Amino acid sequence: MANNLAHRLYREIVNGKVEITVVDPSAYHIYQPAWLLIPFHIMQQNEAIRPERSLLAETVKFRQEKASRIDLNNRVVETDSAKLQYDFLVIATGAKPDYSQVPGLEKAGYDFYTLDNSFKLREALGRFSGGRLVTAVVGIPFKCPTAPLEFVFLADSYFSKLGVRDKVDLSYVYPLPRPFTIQNVAEDAGKLLEQKKINMNLLFNVESIDTEKKEIRSLEGETVKYDLAVLVPPHTGADVIRNSGIADKGGWIPTDKYTLNVKGYDDAYAIGDATDLPVSKAGSAADFEAAVVSTNILDQLNGLAPSLRYNGRVMCFIITAIGEATMLIFDYDHPPVPPPPNFACYWYKLVYNRMYWTITAKGLLPGFGV
Amino acid sequence: MSEENKEKIKVIDARGSFCPGPLMELIRAIKQSNVGDIIEVWSSDQGSQRDIPMWAEKAGHEFLGVIHEQGYDRIRVRKKR
Repeated sequence: MANNLAHRLYREIVNGKVEITVVDPSAYHIYQPAWLLIPFHIMQQNEAIRPERSLLAETVKFRQEKASRIDLNNRVVETDSAKLQYDFLVIATGAKPDYSQVPGLEKAGYDFYTLDNSFKLREALGRFSGGRLVTAVVGIPFKCPTAPLEFVFLADSYFSKLGVRDKVDLSYVYPLPRPFTIQNVAEDAGKLLEQKKINMNLLFNVESIDTEKKEIRSLEGETVKYDLAVLVPPHTGADVIRNSGIADKGGWIPTDKYTLNVKGYDDAYAIGDATDLPVSKAGSAADFEAAVVSTNILDQLNGLAPSLRYNGRVMCFIITAIGEATMLIFDYDHPPVPPPPNFACYWYKLVYNRMYWTITAKGLLPGFGV
Repeated sequence: MSEENKEKIKVIDARGSFCPGPLMELIRAIKQSNVGDIIEVWSSDQGSQRDIPMWAEKAGHEFLGVIHEQGYDRIRVRKKR
């Protein structure tokens, strides 16, 4: 987002007419899709992290500070050490796991929702010689809706390659009556789960986890036993959004689904996982949204009306095995029509893992030209 | 309906929320309610008409029916346990 704007406003920035500042508490940028792949040795740590400064255009200012409060009415972002006035604000504060929503969740098992947890899961899978491996979606929404399916498909492949698949009882536990939110994708996923002999336990809403008995209990009165549990935690928005009085009940930013303005503010936008939009919390959505917002800010700077609207576009891969994937492309009005799993999609995913740093993060091809 | 009207009905306005938002809102409300309470979910998502009765049956709650309104449905469930 910042890089794309900086490329297009190079002259104005150099002449001192425009200033672009990125505020981020971390000095590092993490490619979060790697977290799912690290446990299976498909990606390594050094492929998943870059210094933030190294990715930003020279013309973009970077403040490694934590935003503590956003005052939308007075156009101020407060950080640990400064009060930053703005003319336009883009909020991309993301989503974070909220382990506090379910008793026992934090200590119960493993997940792939932080880099550290991803390493721990890799170690646990490496040591797992057999038994019940349960993958449960504990709460919705969460980052990357396809990830739990991909995890069980990858686990099936991984243990098959190790020659111990017959010793591993794989289960997929999901809160809805189908294994994915979108109906036609759920039908395809259900067939694959059956083919791969992965048990499905649907309409199972996790209420608590007994770590001593190694049992997951549901609101519906069922119990699932596990030897190794991979638990997808419910997510919530960033503290700064709640602390600033912007958040809805879930901690998300009320956002216009087409203009991406924070509702009620034409000088503030929200993109990515932080919004309350009815789209996947996925990096591709953020990228498509950034393309819209950067163009619209440019229009506003030039005294024009914003010219683009976000159509809900999301694009994501579903890895269905080590060496096989399908792809979902959809928007508000058009559901995905995924191709049969194939090697080309898998290869594209692996290539994109590397292209991300040169194309997406640097803002060279925002929204794939959309 | 007249008997129900005398009972306390907790309304969850999940209009504008897409699958599985209304079901998740209902589950959250059920957790916070007492046995016997009626929860009425307002949903503009067509999937709710299918998902909510299925969930209520599995979870042991009573699905009371759907009232169709202009652009949304009022779906009622009684907490049974």
